[in-house]
Amino acid sequence: MRRAPALPPGGVLARLDPWPLLGAAALLVVLVFVAWPLSELAVESFIGQESGRLGFENYAAFFGSSYFRRALFNSLTVGAIGTVIALCIGVPLALAYARFAFPGRDTIEVGILLSMLSPPFVGAYAWILMFGRSGWVSEFARGLGLDLPPIYGTLGISMACAFGLYPLVFMVVRSGLARVNRNLEEAAYSLGRGRLGVMFTITLPLVLPALLTAALLVFLGVVSDFGTPAILGEGERFPVLATLAYSLYLSEIGAEPGMAATTCMILLAITLVLVIGVRFLSGRRSVASDTGGSLALQPLVGVRKWAMTAGVALLVLTANMPTIVVVVCSFLEVRGAVFQPVFTLANYQSAMVAMGNALWNSLLLATIALALIIVVGAGAGYYISRRSGLLPRALDLLIMVPFVVPGTVLGIGYATVFNEPPLLLTGTYAIIAIVYVIRRLPYMTRSCAAIVFQIDRGLEDASLSLGRPPLAGFRRIVLPLMQPGIVAGAAIAWVEVFSELSASIVLYTGPTRTLPIAAYQQAATGDFGLAAAYSTLLVGIAAIGLFIFLFAARGRRERAFGWV
Amino acid sequence: MNSGLPQHLSIDSIVKRFGTFTALNGIHLSAARGELLTLLGPSGCGKTTLLRVIAGFLQPDAGQVRVAGRSLNGVPSNARNFGMVFQNYAIFPHLSVADNVAYGLRARGVTSADIARRVADALARVRLAGFADRFPDALSGGQKQRVGLARAMVIEPELLLMDEPLSNLDAKLRIEMRQEIRLMQRELGITTVYVTHDQEEALAISDRIAVMDKGRILQVGSPRDIYEQPADAFVADFIGGCNWFEGTVSNGELRLAAGPRLACAAKPQTARLALRWEDLRLATEADPPHHRLSARVAMASYLGHRVRLQLAPQNGGAAICADLPSHGEVPAEGTTALFAFDPQRARVFGTDGTRLL
Ligand SMILES: Nc1ncnc2c1ncn2[C@@H]1O[C@H](COP(=O)(O)OP(=O)(O)OP(=O)(O)O)[C@@H](O)[C@H]1O
Ligand SMILES: [Mg+2]
Repeated sequence: MRRAPALPPGGVLARLDPWPLLGAAALLVVLVFVAWPLSELAVESFIGQESGRLGFENYAAFFGSSYFRRALFNSLTVGAIGTVIALCIGVPLALAYARFAFPGRDTIEVGILLSMLSPPFVGAYAWILMFGRSGWVSEFARGLGLDLPPIYGTLGISMACAFGLYPLVFMVVRSGLARVNRNLEEAAYSLGRGRLGVMFTITLPLVLPALLTAALLVFLGVVSDFGTPAILGEGERFPVLATLAYSLYLSEIGAEPGMAATTCMILLAITLVLVIGVRFLSGRRSVASDTGGSLALQPLVGVRKWAMTAGVALLVLTANMPTIVVVVCSFLEVRGAVFQPVFTLANYQSAMVAMGNALWNSLLLATIALALIIVVGAGAGYYISRRSGLLPRALDLLIMVPFVVPGTVLGIGYATVFNEPPLLLTGTYAIIAIVYVIRRLPYMTRSCAAIVFQIDRGLEDASLSLGRPPLAGFRRIVLPLMQPGIVAGAAIAWVEVFSELSASIVLYTGPTRTLPIAAYQQAATGDFGLAAAYSTLLVGIAAIGLFIFLFAARGRRERAFGWV
Repeated sequence: MNSGLPQHLSIDSIVKRFGTFTALNGIHLSAARGELLTLLGPSGCGKTTLLRVIAGFLQPDAGQVRVAGRSLNGVPSNARNFGMVFQNYAIFPHLSVADNVAYGLRARGVTSADIARRVADALARVRLAGFADRFPDALSGGQKQRVGLARAMVIEPELLLMDEPLSNLDAKLRIEMRQEIRLMQRELGITTVYVTHDQEEALAISDRIAVMDKGRILQVGSPRDIYEQPADAFVADFIGGCNWFEGTVSNGELRLAAGPRLACAAKPQTARLALRWEDLRLATEADPPHHRLSARVAMASYLGHRVRLQLAPQNGGAAICADLPSHGEVPAEGTTALFAFDPQRARVFGTDGTRLL
């Protein structure tokens, strides 16, 4: 006779499915920190600034003012031109990396990663150093009797943004290219098309959804950016929606919160229309297929090989030039507002004093936020991709909303709602940490949901059938397998959180000033040497964090899959 | 069904719906302790759904699953102590072979010395003794399936559930593995529910087979019963190759449109006669004329142990098949020959599929 089997230990806890409970808790959090501030802003935008009556008064005032209309127009043109520039850099790079083998591929790719690291406003500041009124390049050109077009305004802002955002295009389009069924391209070659013909008739049409997504991401990035137009727009002279909302909300003389809310809503409306439009356009033509694998990289020979390397390197170098300039300048002596060709650490010495606890604040807040993002994002990503029903769908939607909400809008929403009990948070560290988490949670959730989607459900069933309760199975089986997704999400989230400016600039107070805020303030108004030193610290620490993640990812993988 | 015996697993009026679609429509089934019961049926008939209801991964909309008299309603799958073997193996890719097998034991708080011993035993039993430290990536399909088997058996499960465990393996390995599974299952005496859509596998491995279609169980019986005494036209057609002849019953006789006649006591109605391919043979002098059938050989395929003939009956009617022993006399393609059948091998079904004879 067989002996009675040992049933697994554990009482009620082992029998309960904890996920709906955790999901409901997460939903509550995003309701408070996403839905509430945004709906409050929406309501305020309909309360007349002058009359206090409900209606379209603010909207009428907005479209009645030529200054406000100009901000709207500027936002749209800067967004459009920035998107075109970013596509012009990102798409050729993506094609080169998805299809060709050439020397120096991996090294140059690090350069692409680096340009993602420096926030656009650091680039904007570099443009001023080079092409500003007293920039070197401008001075040099003036010496030759040339007058360069002004860097302030549309062109400068869109270029500075594009140079920081093109890596998004590169990544999205490249992964789109990798998913194109290789048989399709092979078929076109076999039918007698040349390389270029195949690229234009088959490859690019097939990655159209990826191109659209990339363009959308860049456009959203440009119109949401606060720092770049604030620096290159010379205050009020070149308004865009993000800076307009900020100054309406915070201007020392006669703040107009109602008009600020209205501006936020118009900015939000633009992003929503675009997101929905792109969804609609790319939803109708989902042509990428995951069967067949992608084409093997084509080796290039002779001159072509080196020409490819040179072209790619030049592109990436150009895009990184602003960051390089800032880093170099941080080690140069400043006299007046002009950098001298003398190396010194003086800028860093004065930075250490002037910065107060900004660096410490940034490290603390970003670390706390990242930890929360990892825990909540990994859990939510799992829950969203594994469960069906109203609760996970609602959670998914609400978590993703901040992805398309400009930081300034969210910041103003928080400042409006959390300025009084029951949740009095303004001026605290907590409110900045929370806005960091809410803004960057989407990266982690997406990244994790995508990888959970690829993990065989059978593994969890197997774990259950072997007697482990759901949470234990999650911890021992799913979590280790999710690790690549968690690391990828955390790496991006770290960089983004550490250099977050547009929401925290609305929410900080003296004691909670962060490093990006300090860098921005010096770049916008103050000391060029300090600005360069702050910016270099910002980019440097972001880079160190990123490389720690990438390195940790590699080490862990080898340990987990020990036979490699 | 073998009522009277104490049933180890009993399944009572299980209904499972997905939206408006009824995947399981009142399933009754039972298995004695140590029995290997196979669920056999075409794709989409609900085999996996039933297995997942038993495992507790799906909650039935109605009905009960009982094991050893104990109802499993509300018992979560991790507290059921059922071993499960998955079609796609579901081997944890980040754990070594030994850790995969130890996984369930660790959940039960078995001491590490015991774990080591039991894991080694289990691996030896599935002939993977040298593989303890390998990772799943470095295993073949058959080896992964053995790990899955060892992992499910080592917890000494109350019930072993297998969902098409061999369907991802190549033909030869499939036969080898099914014998191993059968031997091991008998040796350990574990009550097992085995899902397959491969009839040969079902016939070879089972104590009893439950044939399913569209969320219902059509017949439960030993492999021989199922094959030789199909209760239903669907079962007859699904298992083995069958020729179907239309006819009518009147005056205690079934007359086929193709010509032959045989005695049939059912009341007058239209009916169908099913005759297995191997039950059609070359006619001899001894066969009465009304059990004969003249047909032209359209094609002859040599299958090793048999020759399969595609036949066009002389007096019209659909094409039929005959399997003849390959060592005997086989008419050449294009020729016409006389075939015959034994009436006791013929099965007669009414238009609704019920067995008449
Ligand atoms: N989660 C679900 N939602 C809706 N319908 C489902 C779901 N799971 C199964 N079905 C449907 O229930 C029916 C039975 O499915 P099941 O997987 O049990 O079939 P099966 O007999 O195992 O088939 P196969 O041999 O192909 O594995 C199918 O028609 C299937 O489409
Ligand atoms: Mg199935």
